[in-house]
Amino acid sequence: MDFSFNDTQQDVQKLTRQILSELSTPDRLNQIDQQVDRFDESLWQQLATSGLLGVAIDERYGGMGFGFTELCLLIEEVGRTVAALPVIPVLVSAALPIQKYGSNEQKERLLTGLVKGETFITAALSEAMSEFPGAPEVMAVVTESDYLLTGTKIAVPFADKAECILITADTVDGIGLFLVNPKAKGVVLTRQRSTTNEPWFELTMNDVSVAAEDVLVTGSEAVEVADWISERTMAASCVMQVGVVDEMTRMTASYTCERVQFNAPIGSFQAVQHRAADCLIDSTCLKLTAYQAVSLLDEDSEATAEVLIAKIWAGDAGHRVSYAAQHLHGGMGIDKDYHLWRYCLWARQLEMSLGNSASHLSALGERIARE
Amino acid sequence: MKIEFTPEQQALRKELQTYFEKLMTPELTAEVAEAVGEGGGPLFWQAMEQLGKDGWIGIGWPEELGGRGMSEMEQFIFVEAVMRAGFPFPFLTTESVGPILAKYASGRMKEKLVPKIMGGKIIIGIGYSEPGAGTDLMSLKTTARKDGDEWVINGQKMWTSLAHHADYVWLAAKTNFDPEVKAHSAISLFLVPTSAEGYSCTPVNTLGDVRTNATYYDNIRVPADHLVGEEGMGMRMIFEQLNRERLSLVNVGAFMQLFEEVVSWTKENKLPSGERVIDQPWVQINLAKCKSGLEALKLICYRQASEMSKGNLKVEDASIAKVYGTEFFVELYRHLAEVIGIGSTLHRHSKGAVLGGKLEEIYRRASVITFGGGANEIQRDLIASAGLGMPRAKR
Repeated sequence: MDFSFNDTQQDVQKLTRQILSELSTPDRLNQIDQQVDRFDESLWQQLATSGLLGVAIDERYGGMGFGFTELCLLIEEVGRTVAALPVIPVLVSAALPIQKYGSNEQKERLLTGLVKGETFITAALSEAMSEFPGAPEVMAVVTESDYLLTGTKIAVPFADKAECILITADTVDGIGLFLVNPKAKGVVLTRQRSTTNEPWFELTMNDVSVAAEDVLVTGSEAVEVADWISERTMAASCVMQVGVVDEMTRMTASYTCERVQFNAPIGSFQAVQHRAADCLIDSTCLKLTAYQAVSLLDEDSEATAEVLIAKIWAGDAGHRVSYAAQHLHGGMGIDKDYHLWRYCLWARQLEMSLGNSASHLSALGERIARE
Repeated sequence: MKIEFTPEQQALRKELQTYFEKLMTPELTAEVAEAVGEGGGPLFWQAMEQLGKDGWIGIGWPEELGGRGMSEMEQFIFVEAVMRAGFPFPFLTTESVGPILAKYASGRMKEKLVPKIMGGKIIIGIGYSEPGAGTDLMSLKTTARKDGDEWVINGQKMWTSLAHHADYVWLAAKTNFDPEVKAHSAISLFLVPTSAEGYSCTPVNTLGDVRTNATYYDNIRVPADHLVGEEGMGMRMIFEQLNRERLSLVNVGAFMQLFEEVVSWTKENKLPSGERVIDQPWVQINLAKCKSGLEALKLICYRQASEMSKGNLKVEDASIAKVYGTEFFVELYRHLAEVIGIGSTLHRHSKGAVLGGKLEEIYRRASVITFGGGANEIQRDLIASAGLGMPRAKR
């Protein structure tokens, strides 16, 4: 049992930390907030230049060829700085399944450009009444030459920027995974306003044609692929939450040690320390369960229960630490000139994406009953 | 990073499971059930010696001390298995005091006691708390004064668990009476034989049926080499010992075993409607809460064992394990008792007792865990100061 990171993993962590702490400062994030889209384009290009966009992409397509663990360490650092970088939808939900299940032509077309920061891809996982990609209501009707997709996905990050969007849809023969061009005829994108201000879109399709070369997977394997994507996206969200929660905890400890009331730093009072200690306990539980899920997924081992457990912790720890941090910061936590508020919004967004603590507890309970 | 057991560790877990299935005969199980968590009966001692002979007690100890030279992780795996088996293993002696004794005791005492610990032939009681010194241990009043080649010990200790089965008490006493010297440097540790003249022990009967003791030290004379480490080094060794104790206290083995037994019960028992108990959504939610909490505890323990293998036992990690593990356990047995319902309040000797009355007994026994081994308030202070760099709280 090895809980430590090897040299490569430490290098990825260090490099990401260095770039993000230098370039994704609170001042920079304030600037980004003035833009229409919360996206740090120049930082994204910087990640491309340093090779990090391709951390888990095969060397054949210009990537570094490392695994899911390395990718997740990058994602954790993005959480720690709440940098405006869509690492989960692009690098996990879209790029990983294309790399694993895509044709050579698809990989060449999409991944090579992604690594260079030239091509943008994303994934549409959720629908208003069906949060997981394995059970879509969007329909795909097969014709002689193509598939025709009809229906609505929600909360699609960066849909307007993407070359293609990975979408699941129900065919008569089970589900299928398709790569939809958002500029295709029949696609309507409507802006949604997410709590973190990440650019989200409602994506409505009306008989949108998807040609054979844009079909990723159909047939009996497709449901497994959808679950494969869900599990990796959930694990990545947990790891991003690790960064968010850890940083909120550290900020709280350091703020309360500076804030003086009754002639003493409030962080010297036991009541305050104990609340902060509880944050560190939550943060530790989240970190260990999230790393376990990542470690198993990296080995392609069965990890359904472990992912559910990590996501339960991501929801619970995110919620509790966020509120404790706000409380212990007093008014500073809601002052938009101070940095905490962004973390609280991300904690909530990650908590509610791809299932939440209540729904996952129910799923885990059903598993225990079935075993 | 690879958060999975190695194939060798998996094989070891299997081996231990089979081993304990054989060791825990119905007779031994019955004996330890009546001795409620403390052992001490003839079959208990027989099993202890067997564990020693088979090389289990010292699996993670260095070979030069008579161990098998494996790591703290294998040692943890062994303790997990022993706890799963429900055997009242004296882990404070073997896992917590033992390694500190081996590190600091005088040559003669080490040669005498370490083989006995490895061989399952000895229990050592812990004498820290006093009627007026609990969490504030440094205010203790027991004294040890040097007289020629001997130390003369006087005082009273409280909650000296297992003292009635112990050969020695691991005793903290004041050895420096200079008011200028800080309490921290005025305390030393001794190995006091329970056979010494002037020693006595009276029982304290507790809510959990577990016997603990008040122990008395009346002009007890022990040789100079019964001092452990240097004079005035007591608190340092106590902190080191308590950090190890915290991990043993929350070893996930017993918790897992209880969880699995309750899960099996909910699958085997049916409601009047014909549904199994576990088919009810609220039962599934309760069990899922236990499972996700246990998973975190398991990982906290394994990471700590893995860090200890590298010699990095951090204060905040030991305290996180203690606070999280003990407070989670209080929730765990409540969730599990809810699942069983009113049957969970039946005593093990009652007609209709469920799972041998385990949940009724645990409720009574577990009320000590959040303050035993260092009150959780103090642990949270340590987490804040060591883990988050906050100032040390005024007391």
